[in-house]
Amino acid sequence: MTEEPIIECCNVGFSYPEAETKALNNVTFSVKRGEFLSVIGHNGSGKSTLARILNGLLEVDEGEVRVLGMKVSEGKNAIEVRKHVGIVFQNPDNQMVASIVEDDVAFGPENIGVEREEIGRRIDWALAAVGMEKFRKSTPARLSGGQKQRIAVAGVLAIKPDVLVLDESTAMLDPRGRREVIEVVRRLNKEEGMTVILITHFMEEALLADRTLVMNRGEIVLEGSPESVFENGETLETYNLALPRISSIIAPLRKAGMNIENVLRPEELAAQIIENLNEKGIYSAQSSPFVPAVRECAHEWDVDVENLSYTYSKKSPFASKALSGVSLHIDDGEFFGIIGHTGSGKSTLIQHFNALLKLPQAQKHFKKPKAKKGKPAPVLPSLTIGKFDLSDKKCDFKALRANVGMVLQYPEYQLFAETVFADVAFGLKNFNPKLSEAEVEQAVKNSIEIVGLDYEDIKDKSPFDLSGGQKRRVAIAGVIVTKPHILILDEPAAGLDPKGKREIMELLHKLHGEWCNTIIIVSHDMDEVAENCTRSCIISEGKVFACDYTANLFKRADELFSLGLDVPLTAKIAMELGRKGIIVESDCTTADFAARVAGIYGGENA
Amino acid sequence: MLNDVTFGQYYPVGSFVHRLDPRFKILALIAFIVLLFVADNFYSMAACFLLLLFAIAFSRVPVTSVIRSVKAIIVIIIFTAVINLFFHTGSHLLWQYGVVKIYREGVIFTVFFVLRLFFLVMASSVLTLTTTPVALTDGIESLLKPLSYIKFPVHELALIMSIALRFIPTLIDETNRIIAAQKARGADFESGNIFKKIKAVIPVLIPLITSAFRRADELGDAMDARCYSGSKNRTKYKKLAFGWRDLVAFLSVAALIAGVVLFNIYAYRVYPPFYEYIKVY
Repeated sequence: MTEEPIIECCNVGFSYPEAETKALNNVTFSVKRGEFLSVIGHNGSGKSTLARILNGLLEVDEGEVRVLGMKVSEGKNAIEVRKHVGIVFQNPDNQMVASIVEDDVAFGPENIGVEREEIGRRIDWALAAVGMEKFRKSTPARLSGGQKQRIAVAGVLAIKPDVLVLDESTAMLDPRGRREVIEVVRRLNKEEGMTVILITHFMEEALLADRTLVMNRGEIVLEGSPESVFENGETLETYNLALPRISSIIAPLRKAGMNIENVLRPEELAAQIIENLNEKGIYSAQSSPFVPAVRECAHEWDVDVENLSYTYSKKSPFASKALSGVSLHIDDGEFFGIIGHTGSGKSTLIQHFNALLKLPQAQKHFKKPKAKKGKPAPVLPSLTIGKFDLSDKKCDFKALRANVGMVLQYPEYQLFAETVFADVAFGLKNFNPKLSEAEVEQAVKNSIEIVGLDYEDIKDKSPFDLSGGQKRRVAIAGVIVTKPHILILDEPAAGLDPKGKREIMELLHKLHGEWCNTIIIVSHDMDEVAENCTRSCIISEGKVFACDYTANLFKRADELFSLGLDVPLTAKIAMELGRKGIIVESDCTTADFAARVAGIYGGENA
Repeated sequence: MLNDVTFGQYYPVGSFVHRLDPRFKILALIAFIVLLFVADNFYSMAACFLLLLFAIAFSRVPVTSVIRSVKAIIVIIIFTAVINLFFHTGSHLLWQYGVVKIYREGVIFTVFFVLRLFFLVMASSVLTLTTTPVALTDGIESLLKPLSYIKFPVHELALIMSIALRFIPTLIDETNRIIAAQKARGADFESGNIFKKIKAVIPVLIPLITSAFRRADELGDAMDARCYSGSKNRTKYKKLAFGWRDLVAFLSVAALIAGVVLFNIYAYRVYPPFYEYIKVY
């Protein structure tokens, strides 16, 4: 790393037209060649604006930005600057211009007039750098999110920039995709000496950098090595940033009298715990076993799936099997988690739960399959939810949908009405056309209030004028307004910052039991599932891999890793401790885990 | 419900016809259509049919999918065929009922006309079945290239087509997602009269349009960030190249042209007594 600054921002200010507050205020920082810088901040803190001023997509109002000594604010040299500073954006779908990978990667070099043979070499190099050589002739529509985002990185690399800016490029990806992209970026930084600016709200990603900037309300409020930044625990929380999850284990351990430094990695924490225990002379121990609480329930709204299979585009050359022989039981009143990669079939599964996809028997032109020579007739799937039999053509699907609420991924994109009130009332009026105005108003009011919004303030606003978090709440209100017995949410926290995530999960717990009996969430965030769900199932390649109490599932860490899935932080630490003879059994929530470790330290169950 | 993964008709097998240069395929289709209209006797038509058969056989697409394309316009064909049959005049009256007269020339013409349309549609579908929309766009762009000298925005047009193709699957996915979401909120897209159905589309259309604008915005930023500044000083990576397959195919098309021209001129010599039944007036 040389000392030559590659980017310099000096007292930069920027405000969007018609905005009351500045998006950036007095921002000063510089980046050295070869540095890996991370920028964190809550949604709306100005970090994406920061990315856009670096290559002249936005022109600063005050101060100046220099890239390799060139002043960016002049507007004329925008192309010249963009050759040196490449940005990868958030949504992998919205960055590609061509339907074939190599054509898309070629787009940048074509724009700056690189010669044909050289473009070919650059495509080879860029695709190799992101590990996507095999997909050169593929079409983006068939790639996973992580793969698409790696193509987007390759598209920027092909311009051969000096600085690679990632503007929340991992926010919309599942853990596997996120890992793929982050690994590519780290390797580029280490091996090719690429300067990287990683804008993110995943604290775990920010830790990988040499240096971290924290932004709040358009200002840089903290700066330093990731470790030093995360020392400022309480201060970070005032900036609406969540601490890395590990700190919520460290704090109670310290309270229990253990001597633990701030660390960021599970192995380091495990080592410290062992050290503490060894000092006390504890070399092997076992916590009290984890006993799942037995719940009483009426079994009125159980979900029962038997032998469910589903194939998209049947009988076409593009047929793809999404589910094969799924059987699953979810009790009335559970907080249930469905875990799996994007494309594992989990979304297909839940779409059956409120008949968005129907069983073959319930479809119009259903013919009973006959037994073929030597083979028995294929067993038909069955699916019952409470008293509804979804394999019956005559099932009242409308009544079913009123009782099984479904919040799909990114539900804010389904808002359409002129006012929030009308949007929330949409479902209610569809299901109960005979309700009086007053009844509708009361139901909508209750629903908007339970999701934590101010009814009087928001009811006449256009849903399109709300902030991202508010939109999502309105969308959820629009589903729960019918008071469904079962509420299903597909990735309810996707794309939100840590604070928004926490708030959504708190909301779900508030709804659970009181407003909706059963809550089923689909997630690929293992920590989220561990903290919230009592029971879960893992879907892999269209099959139920396992279905059990969440805590028991995560004991099978090795198997999960082999599926390419992760385990929650608590399970990782428990694994490390287990290797040293300290067996901690917990329900995998951070609170319970910390309490049990503290218990061992305090001499219980030793 | 819209189909989920695919659009267009492309049938993915790597056959001889699939690997032909898209420019050649477009030009060959145009030549074929012209020949269909130049042909004025059944010998020429049979030659055209022969080439079409070869094309289908070497494309390895199922014959059913080629025939399905004809089904789409069968009503129009029957309708025009009937009109032709009754209104084409000639000298050999075959059948008469009041003012309705059918002549032998009319029958010949109608059969000819129907074959012409069938072959035309089948040949077009061979093109779309064996050529990806992307390759078609590239082909069209390359063929239009000369027009850029008269300031016709060929590059911009090609980019628009390419982006449109790129986003069709994305927007179809999105539409399906929104339909599912509104169905889950009790929206009903199937029952009710036409006005109710139109009204039911609004909750799908508005989110779709908003999202398309949002995507366009983000795409614009991403293109800018990748140094896009119009067609000035731009190079092009993709280059279409003719290969031996194109030569073979070109020779077959050339043979067909020669065949049709020769038959048009010398058809009466093949078997003179037959001539008046195979010639179209």
